[in-house]
Amino acid sequence: MALNNFCLVCGGTGCESSKADEIFKNLKKAAADHGLADQVQVVKTGCFGFCEKGPIVKILPDESFYVEVKPEDAEKIVAEHLVKGRPVQGLLYKTPEQVTAKSEEDIEFYQKQIRIVLRNCGIINPEDVQEYIARDGYLALEKVLFEMTPEQVIEELKKSGLRGRGGAGYPTWLKWTNTRKTQADQRYVICNADEGDPGAYMDRSTLEGDPHSVLEAMTIAGYAQGATKGFVYIRAEYPLAIHRLEVAMKQSREMGLMGKNILGSGSTLISKSASAPARSSAAKRRPSSSPSKASAACPCPSLRSRRSAACGASPRASTTSKPSPTSP
Amino acid sequence: MTLQELRAMREKGQQAMDRRVGGDKSIEIIVGMGTCGIAAGAKEALNAFIDELNSKDVRNVVIKQVGCMGFCHSEPTVEIKMDGMPDIIYGNVDANVARTIVHSHILEKKLVDNHVFDRPALDILKRTPGKEK
Repeated sequence: MALNNFCLVCGGTGCESSKADEIFKNLKKAAADHGLADQVQVVKTGCFGFCEKGPIVKILPDESFYVEVKPEDAEKIVAEHLVKGRPVQGLLYKTPEQVTAKSEEDIEFYQKQIRIVLRNCGIINPEDVQEYIARDGYLALEKVLFEMTPEQVIEELKKSGLRGRGGAGYPTWLKWTNTRKTQADQRYVICNADEGDPGAYMDRSTLEGDPHSVLEAMTIAGYAQGATKGFVYIRAEYPLAIHRLEVAMKQSREMGLMGKNILGSGSTLISKSASAPARSSAAKRRPSSSPSKASAACPCPSLRSRRSAACGASPRASTTSKPSPTSP
Repeated sequence: MTLQELRAMREKGQQAMDRRVGGDKSIEIIVGMGTCGIAAGAKEALNAFIDELNSKDVRNVVIKQVGCMGFCHSEPTVEIKMDGMPDIIYGNVDANVARTIVHSHILEKKLVDNHVFDRPALDILKRTPGKEK
């Protein structure tokens, strides 16, 4: 018997705080009780982005989109929809004009979206690296490590026109070129996951829903700029994102996708996460190799810019990579 | 993990992930799973479809379960919708017929004649949105 139905339960922070975990467990139990455990896969995914109407449960392949689901609805969803093939009408999303949306395609909110950075959120289990890999995860890293030189990677960035997303729009290829050119005994990739912007949750959603995409990007950044160590600086107010990131890092290390001699290519990136609550004496608790003040003696142009997260007391090239490059 | 192992893992995961989402889904297999369908053995037919499609590595298919189509006397019923073939409802589909449908209808684009229960008349095809050809 093969899997033919999928229940995707939103596991973003918003839905988690509205009992998504209980819904997830109830769905699994109900599927088992109805003898469907080997035909129905219940997956807890990242954020669907429809937080106002959470908790969200999406059924595939017919794309029924259930909103405001309660833990006690799990039995009904399994018995009616999965066993009998009849979507539970009362749980489907209704537009402001009270039209029931049969599937996600009927929801205007989604019709206008093309998800790029969030392409896997709401689809994969963020704590399962194999699901990330199945969606072309680490395919880019393969190409970069085995088919491209660091200069070619930067050239590709230049062709793409990618710019920083923080507002200044600094050309990413230029920052990477400058970092690469700077003399340094050790370079670091620093990922700024502090997300200080009030009300902004895109970095949090990416880390909760697709943490491996961030790690893969850091590894590519390290390769292109000659950095062999990395830090993800993530705010302590994001416990779920921290947890998912650390699970991802552990899996990455165990599989040789991070660490020394990645995939046998000879390249190395060793990363750690560091977190501190944003408002406390963060300066005392930052990662020891990156104190908060930029050194005046630092020659690297990309460190002098406001976009840098941190640099060392001795001239050390560092660079920010996505999520958002805000200054500390 | 070596590069080869990563690639093998991706290949293996893609088949399962394609069942879930993404990719081109130009073929629909709609299985009637109302009470009458289930009583007549629609689940066995459904599983046979899934097994056969997996073993032939056919990826661009979505399998849906629906309620009773109203053809209770011919259950299990299955509707196949795909480009290049008319929409067909097959009746009396057991596990063997399901496999035959995969080989014949889906892979070779030939109807499984003695199980065709219903095919829409041309004027109905014309009135169905998206099927005006």
